[in-house]
Amino acid sequence: MFSWRKLGHVLDPERIDRPEWMREFAQAPATLVFDTFVRVYFSCRPPADAAGQYVSRAAYVDLKRDNLFEVVGVSPEPIMDLGGLGTFDQFGTYPTSVIRHGDEVRAYYGGWTRCASVPFDVAIGYAVSRDRGATFEKHGRGPVLGASLHEPFVISGPKIRRFGDRWCLWYIAGTKWIPTTGRAEPVYRIRMATSTDGLRWERDGRELIPARLEADECQASPDVIFANGAYHMFFCYRHSLGYRGREKGYRIGYARSTDLATWTRDDTKAGIDVSDTGWDSEMISYPHVFELDGRTLMFYLGNQVGRRGFGLAELDGSLS
Amino acid sequence: VKWTKRGLLFEPHRYTLPDGCSNFAQSPQALVLDDCVRIYFSTRSRDAGGQYVSHVAFVDVDRAVSRVLRTATATVMSQAGLGCFDEHGIFPINVVRQPNRIVAFTCGWSRRVAVPVETAIGLAVSRDHGLTFERIGPGPVMGPTPQEPFLVGDPFVLIRDGIWHMWYIFGTSWTENPEEPGPARVYKIAHATSRDGLTWDRNGVTIVPAAIGPDECQALPTVFEHAGAWHMYFCYRHATDFRTNRGRGYRLGYAWSPDGRVWQRDDAAAGIDVSLSGWDADMLCYPHVFWCDGQAYLLYNGNAFGRDGFGVAVLEQ
Repeated sequence: MFSWRKLGHVLDPERIDRPEWMREFAQAPATLVFDTFVRVYFSCRPPADAAGQYVSRAAYVDLKRDNLFEVVGVSPEPIMDLGGLGTFDQFGTYPTSVIRHGDEVRAYYGGWTRCASVPFDVAIGYAVSRDRGATFEKHGRGPVLGASLHEPFVISGPKIRRFGDRWCLWYIAGTKWIPTTGRAEPVYRIRMATSTDGLRWERDGRELIPARLEADECQASPDVIFANGAYHMFFCYRHSLGYRGREKGYRIGYARSTDLATWTRDDTKAGIDVSDTGWDSEMISYPHVFELDGRTLMFYLGNQVGRRGFGLAELDGSLS
Repeated sequence: VKWTKRGLLFEPHRYTLPDGCSNFAQSPQALVLDDCVRIYFSTRSRDAGGQYVSHVAFVDVDRAVSRVLRTATATVMSQAGLGCFDEHGIFPINVVRQPNRIVAFTCGWSRRVAVPVETAIGLAVSRDHGLTFERIGPGPVMGPTPQEPFLVGDPFVLIRDGIWHMWYIFGTSWTENPEEPGPARVYKIAHATSRDGLTWDRNGVTIVPAAIGPDECQALPTVFEHAGAWHMYFCYRHATDFRTNRGRGYRLGYAWSPDGRVWQRDDAAAGIDVSLSGWDADMLCYPHVFWCDGQAYLLYNGNAFGRDGFGVAVLEQ
């Protein structure tokens, strides 16, 4: 079992001076390491509209490299635009995953649209930064990975990695919408696609992680890191319904692979759980694991899936 | 080229159709069987909220395409699941005969909030001579891409020398207009190819130049080979004020090509236009050309996008 030592609550949006478009939430942290700071991308929301509907915007905060609890910069504007009328990302960009490629920074993000019979649909878009990750220009007006024959909706949660010449995109795909007396709720599972150029993707076509909680378990944030000869995936999972409280809300799970084809799930190894009290006492979700100056660190969300931002944990020992 | 109109072939309100449908018989598309011609079309019911849902139905006519023999008595394609790309209907459906099966490319509709609708192309298979079709998966085979951002639809497929060719449309803009109640869409005709009908190569390039300005909407290509060339009929209209303004509604366009890829538009050579009065006096749309017993037939809709049915014209040779 891994042992993650919680270092504390890094970014609480309610405790920083922030513009209106960054008013609420700081969700789905993803890092890009610079010489003196670590840029953490996240998604945030302006206040809901009159109908209670939100849009998600993508932002970053720069944290001092040798003290990640010190904020040294905040994106002055959203890092990318919302899509135009009728496009897949008109109503949100959440989450965002970034990677360096030559002089560029590439971003893969979930684009949100609103539907009539179900509340939303999501597809994955691609954008490029040529100013070291400050702003991103979208590649076309449509998604690079959207619904397909056996992945009919809710293609979201991208995590981009490159191992050698092989680009890997972990993501989630919806399997069903559950009708409820309120709004329908989606079920989604972790999948993978690979590419030689980061643009044309070949889908693996399988659910990688078997469900454990229930047949309709929802899985998100498939964050993969290679260490000590193996691929380690930290992700989050929850019940499909009634998930807004402690009992059925998100927890962080773990799976391991040596070949990127077969994954062995073992949540007992994850080594991090909810706290007894405080900002992460009801749920923990959206893990992002990265290495920094010889340390292995994890950003993650707490209660209400990031309404109060994200925290940091450090691994004792190494991933093995 | 001259098409001689024979008038309305099928009027849906005169028949009992499955799925509680009685109005609209849109986008007729033919499958020539041994003893008849099966003509698929999209008809409509209303859902609990009073909104239209398009259903696939068919009518069998004799091989002279002059007389209705029977209509579908049961559901041809089931309704899609919650949240699927074709949840709110299929319109149109294009059928392709293969050994031991018939495949159908469908244009699925789902409703949106900011715009009324999104579409994508699905694939279904029939093993009972086209009486019923089963989806091969719950999602689309062709949806939006970075270069084709929305409204991918209106598939028409031919298989030639092992290559599947699809002519279809994709949306290029959604625009709010102060004079109209909802946003207006513009869509254009494009071409894709495939080795298996499942994975398609396409590049976001439109292939038919506009005749009435950059916001011309082009829909429902139908393609056939004849006399050493490829011929395409389609329909086109203005982007706004097209529903009731006769001068801005759908007309049939025509283009020809030596290879199926590079097209010359020549609407003057289409050989068919609106009538002076009657069911096809205001609008011509959703053309479909097929051959039976050496004769070419053109099926098409008239006024009000096919609410009152479809007609047939024959090619004079």
